[in-house]
Amino acid sequence: MNKFTSEMVDNYANKLLFNLTEDENKLVLDEFEVIDKTIDLINEIEGLNELEPMTHTLDDFEVDLREDIPEESIKVEDALKNAGATEGREIEVPKVVD
Amino acid sequence: MINKSITEIHDALASNKITSEELIKESLEKSHEIQEKYNAFVTIIDDAKKGNNTESLVSGIPFGVKDNFSTKGILSTGSSHTLKNYVPIFTATAVQKLLDSGAVMVNKTVLDEFGLGGTGTTGHTGIVLNPWDKTRMCAGSSAGSACAVASGVYPYALGSDTGDSIRKPAAYCGIVGYKPTYGMISRFGMFPFASSLDHVGVLTRSVEDAAIVVDAMKGKDPNDMTSWDSNHIHLKDAITGNVKGKKLFYIKELCDINNYTNPNEELIKHLQNFQDTLKICQNLGIEVAEESINQNILNAINSVYTVISCAEATSNLSNLTGIIYGPRSNAKNINEMMIDYRTKGFSPLIKRRLVIGSYVLQQENQERYFKNAQKLRRLIVNIMKEFFTKYDGLILPVGCGPAKKLDGKTEQLSKEANALEEHLQIGNFGGFPSITIPNGFVSNLPVGVNITGACYDDENILNIAYALESAMEYKGQIAKEVE
Repeated sequence: MNKFTSEMVDNYANKLLFNLTEDENKLVLDEFEVIDKTIDLINEIEGLNELEPMTHTLDDFEVDLREDIPEESIKVEDALKNAGATEGREIEVPKVVD
Repeated sequence: MINKSITEIHDALASNKITSEELIKESLEKSHEIQEKYNAFVTIIDDAKKGNNTESLVSGIPFGVKDNFSTKGILSTGSSHTLKNYVPIFTATAVQKLLDSGAVMVNKTVLDEFGLGGTGTTGHTGIVLNPWDKTRMCAGSSAGSACAVASGVYPYALGSDTGDSIRKPAAYCGIVGYKPTYGMISRFGMFPFASSLDHVGVLTRSVEDAAIVVDAMKGKDPNDMTSWDSNHIHLKDAITGNVKGKKLFYIKELCDINNYTNPNEELIKHLQNFQDTLKICQNLGIEVAEESINQNILNAINSVYTVISCAEATSNLSNLTGIIYGPRSNAKNINEMMIDYRTKGFSPLIKRRLVIGSYVLQQENQERYFKNAQKLRRLIVNIMKEFFTKYDGLILPVGCGPAKKLDGKTEQLSKEANALEEHLQIGNFGGFPSITIPNGFVSNLPVGVNITGACYDDENILNIAYALESAMEYKGQIAKEVE
């Protein structure tokens, strides 16, 4: 049995809120196989398990936290400028709860 | 005049031989001509106006901006259908710094959708053609910026670089592409793709121009917590051309033609040309040494990149719902609206990358895929940092030759590892400063060489690139269509 199935791929796509065509699904399956084989090679590299996963690009990464003082944010009318439908100061969406 | 260097144009402005208005007019006319031929732009800003006069060398001079930078009041699409009508309410810091210096933005350039591609073929406005040969790609994702600068529309355009998105298109178009150390330029307002790999940079026709533009853009930004204070770094002042005693290394496994099964003629010539470039380095007084890296590690570079970048992209693109911005769907309920918007809006490539990202982030898969990729990223970075204690930089050919043919293939992960094609991603893994300059021609088309160094050592890397550029004959070249 294949490790990766088209149902599995569709399931992931649905979680990401889009649909795939059959051709797109097939391409994802092919790419999963490619990545999986390379990961097998990666797992054979000596000393890998002793390393910490690299999550930040710079080792000396420092964050200066600003004072907790309210700052001016964007205006409501600006925030609404790119929304497809608005009503007053709000973005309009279809009714969610009956 | 618009196809000259920044300092030449600046001098002409200072001596009143030309005005900024005349430069803008020339750049806009050229933009329309290039758009007709190569499809490099999403937007041409026909009503671009002269900015404030400042002391900056970029004052009064037109420039281009990749369309994944937010520009207030100007369409900014990321070359995606999902944002085809998006007009930001603020301007990216990097762009704003140039505008504050008096530079004049004249167009927004095409990219591979959201930067997730390397061909210049997946933007929502169509394929960008290579100005040297319209049957070939510009590479990507900064395809439009590379095309425009190579065509002489202006001296520079902004790019972003997550894997090689500035440095490979620069090579394919015969120009300079520079991404500085991670965080030297603020990413605020640049559409995020993979935040731990994303860099802002520039495409120019000379190393000096790259230094001038990054000097104008760099600096700590309270809106980007990964940016840092670079007030002590003065790139233009650092490029003296004095490189005697500098040390470079190259990686044997990537540069030895005997390592390739059935190499094609372009690869053979590209690697021969690279060896000629090494001789020029030696003639400049630079020591050049050969080093070796485990082939399995080199072969895994692209998988590390794919796993990490797709995982980060899955998170970064989750805000695209079509509700707050983007073309709204007419579906009946909010869930169907988002599905309809994302299904129709994303290109097939983006969807494939996001599914991979989601898969590797699932709890049951994280250790095998995502964590192991992050561990190998650290191993590769550690290896490079060790080399950088002995050498000023790594020098390597860019890609496997000149620009590839546009053959209509989808941008699919290859079953065969090709580290020569992908090694620039190392620069993103470690946040290293990295610059590509043109170093010759293969099949009458430009090819490039890349120099990458230790973090924060940008002055040194640019100086070496400047010396090498000065010893060759490709500085400032403008693309000429070949048969």
